[in-house]
Amino acid sequence: MALRELSSLEKYLGLKKPNKYSTQGDKKVPVLQNNNGPPLLGLATIACHLAKEAKRPELLGDTAESRAVVQQWLEYRVTKLDSCTKEDIKFILKDLNLYLQDKVYLAGNRFTVADTLMYYGIHPLIVDLAIQEKEQYVNVTRWFDHIQHYPGVRHHLPPVVVLKNRIYTSRHH
Amino acid sequence: MTKEGVQGATEEEQQAQSKKALKKQQKEAEKAAKKAEKQAKLTAEQTTEEDDFAKDRYGLSAMVQSQQKLDRELVRVQDLTPEKADQLIWLRARVHTSRAKGKQCFLVLRQQQFNVQALVAVGDRASKQMVKFAANITKESIVDVEASVRKVEQKIESCSQQDVELHIERIFVISQAEPRLPLQLEDAVRPDGEGEEEGRATVNQDTKLDNRVIDLRTTTSQAIFRLQSGVCQLFRDTLTHKGFVEIQTPKIISAASEGGANVFTVSYFKTSAYLAQSPQLYKQMCICADFDKVFCVGPVFRAEDSNTHRHLTEFVGLDIEMAFNYHYHEVIDSITDTMVQIFKGLRDNFQTEIQTVNKQFPSEPFKFLEPTLRLEYTEGVAMLREAGVEMGDEDDLSTPNEKLLGRLVKEKYDTDFYVLDKYPLAVRPFYTMPDPNNAKYSNSYDMFMRGEEILSGAQRIHDAQLLTERATHHQIDLEKIKSYIDSFRFGAPPHGGGGIGLERVCMLYLGLHNVRQTSMFPRDPKRLTP
Repeated sequence: MALRELSSLEKYLGLKKPNKYSTQGDKKVPVLQNNNGPPLLGLATIACHLAKEAKRPELLGDTAESRAVVQQWLEYRVTKLDSCTKEDIKFILKDLNLYLQDKVYLAGNRFTVADTLMYYGIHPLIVDLAIQEKEQYVNVTRWFDHIQHYPGVRHHLPPVVVLKNRIYTSRHH
Repeated sequence: MTKEGVQGATEEEQQAQSKKALKKQQKEAEKAAKKAEKQAKLTAEQTTEEDDFAKDRYGLSAMVQSQQKLDRELVRVQDLTPEKADQLIWLRARVHTSRAKGKQCFLVLRQQQFNVQALVAVGDRASKQMVKFAANITKESIVDVEASVRKVEQKIESCSQQDVELHIERIFVISQAEPRLPLQLEDAVRPDGEGEEEGRATVNQDTKLDNRVIDLRTTTSQAIFRLQSGVCQLFRDTLTHKGFVEIQTPKIISAASEGGANVFTVSYFKTSAYLAQSPQLYKQMCICADFDKVFCVGPVFRAEDSNTHRHLTEFVGLDIEMAFNYHYHEVIDSITDTMVQIFKGLRDNFQTEIQTVNKQFPSEPFKFLEPTLRLEYTEGVAMLREAGVEMGDEDDLSTPNEKLLGRLVKEKYDTDFYVLDKYPLAVRPFYTMPDPNNAKYSNSYDMFMRGEEILSGAQRIHDAQLLTERATHHQIDLEKIKSYIDSFRFGAPPHGGGGIGLERVCMLYLGLHNVRQTSMFPRDPKRLTP
């Protein structure tokens, strides 16, 4: 899973030569054997490295603050999202919905690596949502729909239908 | 010495014991004294009752055994308006609540969904004893009251008659209720979530149904079943006006009409019979017998072991069957128009009832279009697919998809009522006419209210040979439906129809969430009483 994600990320970044990855341990942590230096370990680490390699450092945040926020969401992705149980899903979506209420991207107004990795990570959750739930977490689905249509991001993932109109009123059913 | 000591000790013990006994005795004596006092008081009261000047003005009335014909007009609570001010009237009502405060006692008198505040106050008309008697009348007792109607300065918010109150001059108990009620009416009408902070109770559905007689007295239930009666009446009026004939069909039948899985079997002398799942076969036979347009209102039985919010094992079916000229859409138009007439009638004549139910179960007003929206099944499937639902062309609609489609239709067309036409033939009963243009589909339709199915109908096969073919295809024992098939051999007009569930229509019109709320004495796999 993580490996397909990284190769999608490579394509998005426009890296010509695909890297070779292996995995480590039960949790299949991705490992990048670099040409010059020690191997890089972990999804977030490798993703940051790829962004730099592609000379797109702005994807990691353009200010000190946004760089911190990007790191925060990368960490959230790996620690919270990837190990969430069925019961956690509701809380994750609820919190994220609240957070995205006044934001276009996770780190404010600019697209960053955090958006891609959170999109890849949350995709399996969103696929399973009923229409009514998608409407309940309307900020999440808005952000999700925006990212899945962001040029070059979606790649290996099937598109998720998101209705633009609200069909459930707050009171009914 | 020691002996004495011992003796002394035992004496002491004895003394202690006797002390205890004495105390006990004393207590008992006190108790007895209190009792005596009470008795004395009571007798004193009784004696004072003798000099109670108002003793003829209240009391338990003798059982009404039709001893006398009183020439007394009883006014209805809903007619108590300021126009009746200062009149002395008689009234029969239930004691909804009573609250005594010193020399006064306030009663709320209820009649069906209407109530009015009444007051007994010590004065030249009522004695102390009378006020006490009024305060002690148990809730839900039925009383006859003579009172004068008085206008009030401040509206009484808690009553339906807000502008007047009654000053009681006489009060007689006609039927006394037991002091402990299985449920409190106020608790049964409390909207979900309200009064939670105050720790007030709401009554759950099963308790309500177990004590249905009390629950039916609530304003909400009164309104629901008045509206239900309205649906039946509007149904009859509209169809009669269109030239339909009301028919009565047998409910004990020899063969299952729509698949044998969900029929009740009853023993019938030496053989067995079934309870009718619908009057289907009989209304069709009436068409073959030249009745042209028929309808029937009666019980329908389904032995489905499903415990959902919308399934009952016995419900009231409103069934329609009519011969048409060239196209079964004539039938659809006739049925949808009938439904629209019902919706309009309810909207125009039952607003009070709708508002009353809304107080407890808020919902948006029911919306419909004229003429009614008709979508084809394939269009519906396309709308669902557009919303991300994966389903095959000929799959039946699942309940969640049905509801979702309802929401999509509401969003797109702003209607809570629509027809879905041209169902796949495979999911319909054997007597459904196949679509001439596409053998996979059929001339059948469902009607939906707020995204839930209320009517299932179709053009029927009126050709004996095709009917036999389809019955064989569905593996139905031809022997058992012989009389049905035979009825089409001697000239049968093309015809179609449909059946509506009365309870569902009421539930969905009012936006309720459980069909048991609109069934007076619901029957489901787990409930056979009351």
